[in-house]
Amino acid sequence: MIVTVTLNPAFDHLLFLPEIHLGKFNRVQSTTRMPGGKGINVACSLAVLGEEVVATGLLGGQGCPTFEGALRKIGVTTSFIYVNQEIRTDFFIIEEKHNRQTLVVEEGSSIELRYLNSLKENFDRLLSSATLVEIGGSLPKGVSPNFIKELVQAANRKKVKIVLNLPENILEECIYGTNPFIIAPDLRESKSMFGLDIYSPDARMKISKKLLEIGAGIIMLKYGNLNYVVATRDEIWDGEIELEEKSVMIGVRDAVLAGFIHKYLGKENLGEALKYGLGAGRSAANSKMNFPNSKKETEEFLMMAKVKKVG
Amino acid sequence: MKKVSDFITRDLTSVTEDTPLKEVAEVLSLRGLAGIPVVNKENMVTGWISEKDLITSIFPEKVKIENPDVIGFMNLSQVVKKLTQVGHAMVKDYMSKTVYLVKEDAPASDVAELMLQKDLRRVPVVRDKRLVGVVDRASLSRILLEEGTFE
Repeated sequence: MIVTVTLNPAFDHLLFLPEIHLGKFNRVQSTTRMPGGKGINVACSLAVLGEEVVATGLLGGQGCPTFEGALRKIGVTTSFIYVNQEIRTDFFIIEEKHNRQTLVVEEGSSIELRYLNSLKENFDRLLSSATLVEIGGSLPKGVSPNFIKELVQAANRKKVKIVLNLPENILEECIYGTNPFIIAPDLRESKSMFGLDIYSPDARMKISKKLLEIGAGIIMLKYGNLNYVVATRDEIWDGEIELEEKSVMIGVRDAVLAGFIHKYLGKENLGEALKYGLGAGRSAANSKMNFPNSKKETEEFLMMAKVKKVG
Repeated sequence: MKKVSDFITRDLTSVTEDTPLKEVAEVLSLRGLAGIPVVNKENMVTGWISEKDLITSIFPEKVKIENPDVIGFMNLSQVVKKLTQVGHAMVKDYMSKTVYLVKEDAPASDVAELMLQKDLRRVPVVRDKRLVGVVDRASLSRILLEEGTFE
């Protein structure tokens, strides 16, 4: 069983319109609303690929039944700690005329300490039957990256593999002294890690090397549209997959990670896992949801992925 | 033949024996639930705690909760004192240790029979004794009505 942790989940609200006129009245053509947040997206993708997955984290307010109901419908088991705050909403504005996607993210609410303690206890219980834990996304207001470090250490104690899918500012504060199985930094906002630009091939090698030295087993770095570098101490792979012009990029990164995990757990082959991940990402980009359309489509698309060993 | 796994709500919302009753009340209220499973550190079900258990923990045993004049038996300071005590009490002090479980791969007719015989609204579902979800009357009825049969 795989457990995903999302401390700051959100509804992903997609607004489709030809183009947006800032400062004017705009009417959208269609909308989609679904559970989101990095850990949630990974959970949904893994469930679509046939993994048994439990989503935990902090959830509250009147949106809970809709949020959890949607997850269970996809096949995700829910195990949230309920808080006295509403679920935030992230807005994705998709302008079809300009093929442009704008993301507007709400900050999470403050969380009382007692809820964090309950989450830690719940997490410990879930570890008893977990094979792998993925922790993803941002933190609610006032929650320190140290909290994530505590979760990682709890997983280390029980020898459960950990995947960190976090923004670089959080990662940099919680990776030292832990040994994550996979680190997939979310560099959408910073575009850099350790002060190094992700778009430079040389910098990607340096970032990977440094993360491996810190103790990670596998590094996954996304750059460009859907290009990846995957590195271990023994090998480095580069991969890409072409996307259609009107792809919806929401959740694509998380789908790649989920596809990679799914394949790598079954057969520890870096190149094949990267290929599978790219197929899952392509399938997610082909859907208006934040996870792949299906396992079948993922396995069709992975044939389009180009991966090569570069080191 | 339909199995319990076809009707399960894959939700692991639960509390432990050491959870304060105050927290149970909050979870039940935030989730709109009438009761939840009690689990140990390995997510194995050890009991069940319901809103009825909470109410009976607040009011004296001899007072029936159906009695609308229940507060009349106690003066306000007694009620406040009792609420403070109960707020700090643990689940283990008030939970039902007799809990009916069903296995995930059991026939759906088993859980339907159990619900009818024991007048249960929600039944925890387990695999290797660990909680994997719950079956409730509403989802069981809905699916049965949609499909018309267990077969």
